[in-house]
Amino acid sequence: MAESGEFELLGRMTIGQYLPTGSPLHTIDPRGKLFVGVLLVLTTVATGSLLGLTLLLITVVAGFLLARIALRYALSGLRPLLPFILILALLQVFTIPQRGAASVLWHWGPLIITDASLLAGITLIGRVFAMVLTLSLLSFTTTTTELTHGIEHLLLPLQAFRFPAHELALVAIIAVRFLPILAQETERLMKAQASRGADFGRGRGNPIRRTRRLLPLVVPLFLVSLQRAEDLVLAMEARCYTGGRGRTHLIQLKARHRDYAFVAALVGIAVLAVTLSVISADHCVQGWLAGML
Amino acid sequence: MFKSTRKIVISGVMAAMLITLGLLPQGFIPTIFGVSLTPMHVPVIIGAVLEGPVVGFVLGLIFGAFSFLQAAIAPRGPGDVLFTNPVVSILPRLFIGPVAWAVYELLRRIKEPLAMAAAGVAGSLTNTILVLGVIGLLHLLPWTLIGGLALTNGPVEAAVAAVLTLAVVAAVKHIETGRRGSTV
Amino acid sequence: MNQREAPIIAVQDLWHTYLAGTPLETQSLRGVQLEVFAGEAVGIIGPTGSGKSTLLQHLNGLLRPQRGEVYVRGNALSRRDAAVRGVRQSVGLVFQSPEDQLFERYAGDDVAFGPRNFGLSADEVRERVRSAMEAVGLPFSCKDRLTWELSHGQRRLLALAGVLAVDPLVLVLDEPTAGLDPQGRRALLRVLSAWRKAPGRALVLASHNMEDIAEICTRVYVLSHGHVLLQGTPREVFARDDVLAPNGLTVPAAMAILLLLKARGCQVPTAALTVEEAASAIEAVLHG
Repeated sequence: MAESGEFELLGRMTIGQYLPTGSPLHTIDPRGKLFVGVLLVLTTVATGSLLGLTLLLITVVAGFLLARIALRYALSGLRPLLPFILILALLQVFTIPQRGAASVLWHWGPLIITDASLLAGITLIGRVFAMVLTLSLLSFTTTTTELTHGIEHLLLPLQAFRFPAHELALVAIIAVRFLPILAQETERLMKAQASRGADFGRGRGNPIRRTRRLLPLVVPLFLVSLQRAEDLVLAMEARCYTGGRGRTHLIQLKARHRDYAFVAALVGIAVLAVTLSVISADHCVQGWLAGML
Repeated sequence: MFKSTRKIVISGVMAAMLITLGLLPQGFIPTIFGVSLTPMHVPVIIGAVLEGPVVGFVLGLIFGAFSFLQAAIAPRGPGDVLFTNPVVSILPRLFIGPVAWAVYELLRRIKEPLAMAAAGVAGSLTNTILVLGVIGLLHLLPWTLIGGLALTNGPVEAAVAAVLTLAVVAAVKHIETGRRGSTV
Repeated sequence: MNQREAPIIAVQDLWHTYLAGTPLETQSLRGVQLEVFAGEAVGIIGPTGSGKSTLLQHLNGLLRPQRGEVYVRGNALSRRDAAVRGVRQSVGLVFQSPEDQLFERYAGDDVAFGPRNFGLSADEVRERVRSAMEAVGLPFSCKDRLTWELSHGQRRLLALAGVLAVDPLVLVLDEPTAGLDPQGRRALLRVLSAWRKAPGRALVLASHNMEDIAEICTRVYVLSHGHVLLQGTPREVFARDDVLAPNGLTVPAAMAILLLLKARGCQVPTAALTVEEAASAIEAVLHG
């Protein structure tokens, strides 16, 4: 039984899957989820503290439980990358110079592990997990339409400062609408060029050769998309589009009490995580690690 | 109004292009250490050359955001973990468009095709230098390794960008480019 | 056309499921039987979603048979080691709006893309490009013109030349005249008919345009819901309005007019494929 073909990959692409389980988390206002999502992701970067990261991780896991989505599903996406993450973490552990290292735990020639570097390695792993899981959860529980509306509404207040929120949201909407079109065109072009003997398969040869092989695909793709862009501009102007000022929306987002409560709770957690970092709670962990080894 | 209808639409379409390129399996040409080369920065450059620095800036922002999200949600190689830091993935990318546009405008009067290719090279090098620079400054990787990456990835990505920018922009603007005719 | 010769392409009991195993799974082909012999022009008609495109993509190996078999010059395409490259060279597939796939700056280079992919020498490539361009009615001197300077119709002919340059035995086309003005359409059909006349070649045409089918096809298959409903000569197939109409298919305009006249009580024969035949039929009734 032959494979179904090299060209069906785009149909199988699951970017930011949406999993409708009908949980309470799905019904939270998308603006709230977006805000919290971005906040948590930024917090994972802002908090250098392992304790803080642990707190965030617990929060996300709780989120998965609330959304009735199996954590295993999200983690399965991470599995192939584990070796790479570990390599980078090990790199941190062995080579990064430390500030404030209390003691050297082990050394062999030029390779040194201090308690701080070990912590740095573990922190890296924790950070990646926290970010991936947070963003996965966000995409599992929010549809693309909700996301775009959420973004647009969130950026609206910035219009007071002459920040082109509406224009940017429109850019996002157009991009999202064009994605399936481009995916289809890509498939069509790949097939058409393959029918003329082009070989897009397994990456053979040096990068220069591989790039040249992409030309028959990428150049027409650009040209077709720019042509469609021209058509769209015409269509918009023919419908009297003159910019964002004073435009009204068909779909209105309404925030309810539970949305505010949700956001408040998570802001609290984020603040706590950052505080843990600021008060250097990790020093205790460092000491404990040093004592253990 | 910051942006005309035209600029908004081109931004949206180029954004869709860069996301599509980012999702193509063939779009990734992995090199040593697995930091993948992609033509993803090319739509940013093309958008900037065609519609100006503001569009270039916005596309750079979208490129950075996508790079960040892709590293966070579905990393493809070991190098991707570095891009989970927005300062690495987003900040440097904001400059690709404006720099490419500036180079294009400067060289346009001399020779159009040269300007297009140069814009491609400039934009690509901005990406390479600034991203690797940030990685180095944040002590995420040792400088020797960074130097190696710059030398292997930099020129190749720049060449790719030059070729693509030239091919596409010349086609859109209906301009002859150097060679007088077919090679047949 | 010798029916006892082996067909160039034979499709046997072909089934295909699109996106199998995902929530979007659909059965696009259900047990399709089809043959293409040398010297034929086979038409495939069917409503949107009938599986025409899927079927066409099986003919040159873009899609491999999931169940059933496709033979091209005796090679079974379901085998892992099937010589797909050879198949791509024997069966040239021209997609809808093929001018979209032009990517080279200069016309000649784009036509040369195909032959170069198959490793021909520079001289052979030049010869192929020349004959392909001349076959579609574009002078060889056009090779140095910028691709985007050519008119829409010319660009479509150029794209066709790109496939002809590979020198296939069978030319498979999906909606070849879609989007062309009447002159462009006539030019293209002339090119296709002329090309087909050379010995050993065959044409396969999937189209919604019944006039095209009536004009150049020697045999027609009617596809609906992934299954062949009917096959025969154009006259035979178009006479079966009872099968065509329920499946959303029309007959050529010339025949449709005669059918309307008949419905209003005019005793006119309805088996006309072209405008000329219809005119003769009406004239006969007017004068008879």
